[in-house]
Amino acid sequence: MDTVASTAKMNNDEIFDLMKQFITEVIGEEFVEEMDITPESSFTKDLEMDSIEIVSFSEKIKAHFGDQIDFTGWLSSMDLDQLINLNLGMIINYIHECQ
Amino acid sequence: MPIIKINNRDVHIQELNKEATETVLLIHGMFSNLSVYYFNIAPILAEHFHVVMYDLKSHGMSERTLHGYDLNSMTDDLYALMETLDLNTVHLAGYSFGGLIALKMALRFPEKLKKLAIIEAPDPSDEKARGIIDDYSREFLEHYVENFTDTTKVKMGKRQMERNHRMYEFLFYQTSIKNDMVAEKDFFSDSEITTINKETLLLYGSDSNCMETGKQLSKMIKSSELMPVPGDHNIPIQEPVLVGNMINTFFMN
Repeated sequence: MDTVASTAKMNNDEIFDLMKQFITEVIGEEFVEEMDITPESSFTKDLEMDSIEIVSFSEKIKAHFGDQIDFTGWLSSMDLDQLINLNLGMIINYIHECQ
Repeated sequence: MPIIKINNRDVHIQELNKEATETVLLIHGMFSNLSVYYFNIAPILAEHFHVVMYDLKSHGMSERTLHGYDLNSMTDDLYALMETLDLNTVHLAGYSFGGLIALKMALRFPEKLKKLAIIEAPDPSDEKARGIIDDYSREFLEHYVENFTDTTKVKMGKRQMERNHRMYEFLFYQTSIKNDMVAEKDFFSDSEITTINKETLLLYGSDSNCMETGKQLSKMIKSSELMPVPGDHNIPIQEPVLVGNMINTFFMN
């Protein structure tokens, strides 16, 4: 019954690869090469992304998924501690649920 | 990433809710960028308003430039941005140095503005505020980052420290920002400020070093209201939802 939707739906590995690509575009390949990006990587501590880089990252998600995903809205519902602890796996899950 | 040309330079902007009839324009502070609004304050305002944020020159993702950090140049840029985006009149909010730009805008182009929200604008004659610029060093940056920036809760890693270090080095040693700021030291003592006739909301942290400046401005600007917010100079980071709601209510009524 969900054949049409499922063709467009990405699995977690695909979302992870796409997120990695976005992160590379935002912070630059030379930095990413030195990092081991995993779903446990936290945005602020491990990836050392600052807020303007997270803005760029959010814009890429918006451009890719359109209205399907309110990524900025989701981020803005978090308090500072939650944002600091945000990791890639949480984002992958969120995107997966929204699809 | 939306980049537009303003006075021949690339300027990074972000817009929300373009369909709304009234526009709110947000100006960030020095050594910061539009992300100070992007995640919380802007989405609150976008429930009713078209919201425009932009990165000041050499900040965030806008193009670097060597000159023009005085308030005249900064308001020339803002005027040109409004022309480019076809914005006739806006509600204007500015934080810290952005608050000074907003005040200058109200003096130079009052016809372009509706209401004014000033968040933690410092007194430019304050030696301490300007002293930051004289005492810059790597140690200073580490101290500054630990105490005064929006990353207070996160220990900065190596890449971020380098990135920030490069930005400060550029702004302090290669641009005219130092001299341009010193030249603005009489901005508040100039009686011109008293001629501002816009309805003005003054938001200052109850524990902020700038609170006295807030009181001073509330006396100088006739139709202004000073409202304390729990926190220090960093209230947009400490109380983003409260600040967003206060500005929203003020612009709506």
